[in-house]
Amino acid sequence: MKKLLAAFLLGFIGYYLYTAFAGVPFGENKMEVGKDYLETTVPKTGAVNTVTSIVVNYRGFDTLGEVTVLFLAATGLGAILFGMKGKPEDKHREPSSILTTGAKALFPIIVLLGAYIFIHGHLTPGGGFQGGTIIATGVLILILGIKSFHANHALLSVMESLAGITFVVAGILGLAFGKNFLENILPLGTPGQVLSAGIIPIIYIAVGFKVGAELAGVLDTLMSTTRGEE
Amino acid sequence: MPELFPLSPVHYVAAPLLAAFLLPLVAKLSRSFIKILPGLTFLYVLYVSAVLYPQALQAPIIEQIAGWAPPLGINLYYGPMAGLFASLFSALGFIVWLYSLTQMKQEPLDRFYILLMMLVAGATGMVLTGDIFNLFVFMEITAISAYSLTAFLREDDKAEAGFKYILIGSLASAFVLLGIAILYSYTGTLNLADLALNMDKVPLSVRVIVFGLFLVGFGIEAEIFPLNGWAPDAYSAAPAPVSALFAGITVKAALYALARVTILLFPFAGSMALISILGLVTLVISELAALHQKNLFRMLAYSSMGQVGLAIAALGLFTAEGVYAALFAMINHAIVKGMLFLTVFAMAGGSATLDGLNGMGRKKPILSLLFTLGAFAIIGLPPFSGFWSKLSVLTAMGQTGNYAMIAIVLATTIVEAAYFLRATGRLYLSEGNPAEGKTPLSAIAALAVLAAGILWIGFFPGSIDETLTAGAQDLLDTAKYTEGVLKD
Amino acid sequence: MIYYIASIAVMLIGLYAVLVKKNLIKIVIGLSLMDAGTHLLLVAIGFIKGGTAPIFSEPGLTADAMVDPVPQALVLTAIVIGLAVTAVALALVIRIYAQHKTLDIRKISSLKW
Repeated sequence: MKKLLAAFLLGFIGYYLYTAFAGVPFGENKMEVGKDYLETTVPKTGAVNTVTSIVVNYRGFDTLGEVTVLFLAATGLGAILFGMKGKPEDKHREPSSILTTGAKALFPIIVLLGAYIFIHGHLTPGGGFQGGTIIATGVLILILGIKSFHANHALLSVMESLAGITFVVAGILGLAFGKNFLENILPLGTPGQVLSAGIIPIIYIAVGFKVGAELAGVLDTLMSTTRGEE
Repeated sequence: MPELFPLSPVHYVAAPLLAAFLLPLVAKLSRSFIKILPGLTFLYVLYVSAVLYPQALQAPIIEQIAGWAPPLGINLYYGPMAGLFASLFSALGFIVWLYSLTQMKQEPLDRFYILLMMLVAGATGMVLTGDIFNLFVFMEITAISAYSLTAFLREDDKAEAGFKYILIGSLASAFVLLGIAILYSYTGTLNLADLALNMDKVPLSVRVIVFGLFLVGFGIEAEIFPLNGWAPDAYSAAPAPVSALFAGITVKAALYALARVTILLFPFAGSMALISILGLVTLVISELAALHQKNLFRMLAYSSMGQVGLAIAALGLFTAEGVYAALFAMINHAIVKGMLFLTVFAMAGGSATLDGLNGMGRKKPILSLLFTLGAFAIIGLPPFSGFWSKLSVLTAMGQTGNYAMIAIVLATTIVEAAYFLRATGRLYLSEGNPAEGKTPLSAIAALAVLAAGILWIGFFPGSIDETLTAGAQDLLDTAKYTEGVLKD
Repeated sequence: MIYYIASIAVMLIGLYAVLVKKNLIKIVIGLSLMDAGTHLLLVAIGFIKGGTAPIFSEPGLTADAMVDPVPQALVLTAIVIGLAVTAVALALVIRIYAQHKTLDIRKISSLKW
């Protein structure tokens, strides 16, 4: 009965969503604002990657909110799971020595890749979120590979705080220089170089650190509450 | 400092964000900063309100983030209505902080205050922003803080209430995001003002679908029937200061978003009538449900939904008087319901029942008096603020000739009076022996500020007349909005 | 067009899981699927036939030959938000499991509506 009702509801929603999108031609150029972004990104922001210039510069306020959402998730997770410990009798298989050795060997390379991706966010595909996520997967491998591994939460929280403050201060500096919040105050440089695009790389590096630290912290919190160690 | 950092609406969001990121650091220096920093932040945004709001009453302040003119960049629109809400949220945030100082003891306090600040900042951002996707981002900031705070306390079924909330809240955000996706695919823009001018690119049938998506999405957060199943659980599970903020802030922000979006993008008669009817249905069902509640927080939650329903019904008229009345009802509700949640918690603790009030009038006379004041104000007895707000709602309905609506509102008032007077009666008439306990001065002070607000509006309703009229005009004058935002 | 239908289908499958499934983890997976479907839909809207990634990485690339960058930027934001919600939801599931020792919503009375 419940399934029938659900199916009916799904059919209803699906039909109307389909009719809404039936009038949207697929694969055709229907850009309005998008065109302006593509045309102005290189001369006005100095960033070659348009997606990055939108995320960090044109719509930087969204990204500030996005960083906050992640920060809140990490904070909320800590609040919800505060004081909870897994049961010690939970037996987990020992990681094999291949996994342990592999994790140790891979970790620096993964961190390097992550750092490369967020430092070059304005030039190549990728950016702070992607790079940070890659770094967090490095931490995940360590958690899986080394049974006694624990992330240093104090260090992580200092890192994420400093990175968050960098983002907001970069915004406030715009105000202090008589411009708008989050407005670029640095020279744009030559598009295509690492040191270009004004504050975009600075913000994206901060975001990379922040996302990396937060996701690592989230993983470690979830792991230690379900794994039975602390 | 004023020369260095010219005040602008973005401070409402930037200051709490900076404080939230700073809090984990300063907490390492001294634990006392955990409590001080949020207070300073709320004081600062109140100062921002004091400076900016009078300016906004003259002419709306439009700020372009990162210096990009809309529709390329995101803009903040700080008009009389947004200013009113932002100021109200800041004030409530400060009062709840003052109250939490002594009443909130559950660790981890640093995380509690971060989430509290972000709840207020997110709601303020929802009200300020002029970009529909940015609105979605701030809605999520508010929602994620709210989910975490709902499950903040440890005992029995708090996590379940949080899970229900997150489940239905995620539905809301998915629907809003879908609506945004459809709008973007037809118009190619995300700025609200630009969207309003480009809505003729969207076929009428699609507009109805998008309106439905937004109505469900924001309606869930605004507790419109039948999307409010999460609310009583969340209200009774969350710590009382947070419940006060849910009633005072998150609902209001969602309502503002719904009203703004409806009036800019979907100004057809049907959509407004639908909102009005949903408001009335919410009002009736919630008030009847409140009558059966034994748990005081659930009773207040249902009553809160009823009050919001009243505001929505008035809002749905979309006349100057209707919006005026809706604003009045929302402000009244934010102050009174906030005070009631806080008073009940101070009086009878987190799991207060109706029986727990027995004989409280002798043990805790001040709190009992405050509760009575709040109850009278909610029912709408003169000379308290609730009387004027209900009167303005009824006047607005009368002017549009909706006498059936007036009858419904009056009937629900009787229901409301029944359960609030029952609770008040328990305070003074029933025999009981509640536990002794002293309420700290700072908590009483927080409550006293709210009580003073009720009395002030009650005796001088004319004093907020100008701000409400300006707010109503600001919401209804879409041409001024779009021209202001897209002036260059 | 098939892309739209497929992404709407992914979304509906997620919604179905949320409505019908009895296991808390499966419900959370349903939430993630709903998000994923919406994100796919956004990316599909931005696609332009023959368009390349909106990055001016080498000289000679012009704006005409690129896909719409806006939906990609929006999806980036939306993914992070979806992730945050999933993380909080999973934390709540851990709390519920620790208390009731079950993930079956039929056995948890306080989860009834």
